[in-house]
Amino acid sequence: MPKDTYHGPLEKVNDCCWRIPKSYKQGMRVDGLIYANDELIDTIKDDQALEQVANVAFLPGIQHASLAMPDIHWGYGFCIGGVCATDPNEGGVISPGGVGYDINCGVRLVRSNLFYQDVKPQLKPLIEEMFRTVPTGVGREGKYHFDPKELKRMMAEGPGRLAERGLATPGDIDHTEARGRLDGAEPENVSPRALERGKDQCGTLGSGNHFMEVQVVDAVFDAVAAGAMGLAKDMVCVMIHSGSRGLGYQVCDDALKLLRGVPEKYGISLPDRQLACAPVESPEGRHYLGAMRAAANYAWCNRQLLMWQAREAFESVFGEPWQGLQMNLVYDVAHNIAKFEEHAVGGKSRRVWVHRKGATRAFPPDHLEVPDIYRRIGQPVIIPGDMGRASWVMAGQSGSMEQTFGTACHGAGRVMSRTAAVKHAQGRRIDQELERKGVIARARSWKGLAEEQPDAYKDVNLVVDVVHRAGLAKKVARMRPIGVIKG
Amino acid sequence: MYETFEHTADLGLRVVSPDLDTLFAEAAQGLTSMIVANLDQVKLVREVAFRVSGKSRDELLFDWLNEILYAFEAEHVLLARFEVHVGETGLEATAQGEPLDLDRHQLEHEVKAITYHGLKVEQRDGGWLAEVIVDI
Repeated sequence: MPKDTYHGPLEKVNDCCWRIPKSYKQGMRVDGLIYANDELIDTIKDDQALEQVANVAFLPGIQHASLAMPDIHWGYGFCIGGVCATDPNEGGVISPGGVGYDINCGVRLVRSNLFYQDVKPQLKPLIEEMFRTVPTGVGREGKYHFDPKELKRMMAEGPGRLAERGLATPGDIDHTEARGRLDGAEPENVSPRALERGKDQCGTLGSGNHFMEVQVVDAVFDAVAAGAMGLAKDMVCVMIHSGSRGLGYQVCDDALKLLRGVPEKYGISLPDRQLACAPVESPEGRHYLGAMRAAANYAWCNRQLLMWQAREAFESVFGEPWQGLQMNLVYDVAHNIAKFEEHAVGGKSRRVWVHRKGATRAFPPDHLEVPDIYRRIGQPVIIPGDMGRASWVMAGQSGSMEQTFGTACHGAGRVMSRTAAVKHAQGRRIDQELERKGVIARARSWKGLAEEQPDAYKDVNLVVDVVHRAGLAKKVARMRPIGVIKG
Repeated sequence: MYETFEHTADLGLRVVSPDLDTLFAEAAQGLTSMIVANLDQVKLVREVAFRVSGKSRDELLFDWLNEILYAFEAEHVLLARFEVHVGETGLEATAQGEPLDLDRHQLEHEVKAITYHGLKVEQRDGGWLAEVIVDI
């Protein structure tokens, strides 16, 4: 399958935004709007992502525009970095491809009262302890095993259920998007296959681009916002990127199978069968939503347990309880999810299904869903970069509500295929290169590390810059990786 | 014969075979070879039978590969050798392999899912061609 350069119309709206007019393809109900800059837009044109942005505009009930963030690259039906909102009152649909296979893949940031100088002498033992104790990689089970009844409770309640078992604190729940629980989860809609895949995986990192990183606050851009989040220059933090594991992948797979032939049943004509969807209010739509929410709640349990294990690793190396190290959760965000939210569209308030696939919610100051302590500054937005350069913390701004259904980017986005990255890494020891840059990396496979090398990714600083200039979210702090464990 | 091909974030599998039965067998091998680096180290000590129904060949391939993936993910069995018979209404197959052994098997990729993206099963140059992209 060759990468097809986009040759359709692309109008520059301003320095941060380009438009694909809906006249481009018969069937587009709205324009496509892509947030980028002059440099990024050139690479964005290099694969099918823009065609996919135009295709998403076909979806019934879509509001305002088919949106794309600066880190987009092509995916399945929807590009990664795509956002679309559909209104059930206008026959709006729900589409599993607009959420992704890894339902509620997301990221959380944990702060501490340790600074770089405190951690540096113990960095290697710390990373090695994390690598030893946190399950990473293919085929590895977690140390937590849950029976089906317990799994169903976790899918219904999220990490609140783990709090009852002493594996989560009230602060952890308060600082998780949606408090770690989407209402209306239907664990019964999750197939036995999905349960089989997921039952031993809660509290495991996975592989591919998932990671657990030890980071240092490299630069603070907004002292007030950083202060509210408990961040300061040179502070050591942990960033965790993972999702719903095999349970979520199977839920998506089951949904796509359920939706075979369904768009036609509802008279929905699609340019790409991977945009498979059903009206939100249909039995198929409701079935997927029930299962998706259950998988999302499971993913929040997964990240909660991963954080718990990270805390234990620090305890083991520094000889102090994590509470004493003040390893508090700054925030946890989902970047593959669909949420039912209130937004202004054409001056009117509507409740719409916002699909975020490789895109992060970025609610502004004063929004009721933002935790009290962040109400003044806006919702923390955690943006993982690549393991050589940087990650970012931003705060949602009102521009996101005005332009992108309260959404910002999710990360750096790939530029190099996995096979090309492996070729590029031939004869190289990526772990040694990283160590020379001051990053201790431990991974289960050389190939995995090669595929995830920094060169395979766009420069996250460029992506974040666009988001900041467009007013979707503002820069708060840049984080520098000093250690990483991968599957 | 199978090989991987380029995709930005994931992996593509291309299979070229003289007949449909071999195509499906080699596609399954190709999938396992994406999961484990040393496919030749997988011992053939366990046999599993499969029956998958479906009329459309590309969806049949999709469902077949999903069975292989599920066997690995949920039952922790690596399947390396396949005998497949594709008929009008589906396929029957026997697969051989062994339970996962983390000490011997070099696992390389976590295959999250088989996707429909660019999925194809078609006749080509007197033989058959299949392409499928898997989500990593």
